[in-house]
Amino acid sequence: MDAITFYISGILSVIAAVVIVTRRNPVYSTIWLVGFFVTISIDFLILRAPFLAVIQVLVYAGAIMVLFLFVIMLLNLQPDELVETVTRRRKAGAALLSAAIFIMLCAAISQSPSVGGAAPLTAPLPAGHPLAEGSDTVAIGESMFQRHVLAFEVSSVLILIAIIGAIYLAKKRRPAAPLRSASPASVDGVRPEGALEPHPAAGHAERALAAEPVGARHP
Amino acid sequence: MSLAGALYLSAAIFCVGVYGVLSRQNLLIMLMSLELLLNAVNLAIVAFGRSFLAAAPDDPSGPQVLVVIVLAVAAAEAAVGLSILLAVYRKWRSANAGEIDMLKG
Repeated sequence: MDAITFYISGILSVIAAVVIVTRRNPVYSTIWLVGFFVTISIDFLILRAPFLAVIQVLVYAGAIMVLFLFVIMLLNLQPDELVETVTRRRKAGAALLSAAIFIMLCAAISQSPSVGGAAPLTAPLPAGHPLAEGSDTVAIGESMFQRHVLAFEVSSVLILIAIIGAIYLAKKRRPAAPLRSASPASVDGVRPEGALEPHPAAGHAERALAAEPVGARHP
Repeated sequence: MSLAGALYLSAAIFCVGVYGVLSRQNLLIMLMSLELLLNAVNLAIVAFGRSFLAAAPDDPSGPQVLVVIVLAVAAAEAAVGLSILLAVYRKWRSANAGEIDMLKG
């Protein structure tokens, strides 16, 4: 039963993936992306990872898909903007390259002794496995916050940086403020050659200029 | 249903994603193809973890923690990628990778 479900959802996910990369209108691609994420979530359930299945639907089908739809609606692309100028030759080259990667991966999988000798995915869970005792969420939490806590902290810093970067990139730029008519030495903190040590008073003035926010002088 | 079957499925999804990144010019669909790539890798990680449970009896959830972290990276990538797309669209009025060729020699 598990195997049949796995094969059906696998075929569906490949079909959905092909549809995603071939639609001209990105809205259709996004809708098919939801179906793709759901099939992957079914695969996770069959592989005995129910927590990941839920997270997959929540994060991908819930959050990332909505992000894509937001951007599509924000851009409001007209049909003539969706026309692509990819030549037939380049498409054939891309297909050839990805087929070559697929063949190489399949060869590697079929010839690997550790994959060939691995336990089947339908084998019963070992006695000490968290799912055999109920929920795997507790085990994932313990593993994440004890053994893999450094990776967890690094990924949280990454997300923080991504938030800051996304806000900075997507923000509307105001027209650039006119350059201050200060001495050239104070423009970007680099002193021109020959100006080794400025006069103490000048240094104070410079520091005062630097401490003053730009917007205060030129609103 | 064996580990090899899951890995073949993962390889197929990955290659469709590679084709999408290479053959499309719409930046949105290129980003979606990147999501396909990440999902294919996640599937392979979970299948390996399910199959090699006996290899790490004291940490059976390790692969799933790795997948959660890949998920966080994917979310960060989607957020930054889409905001770059917005900035590009503001400047060039186009979301087509073929028209953004300022760096072309």
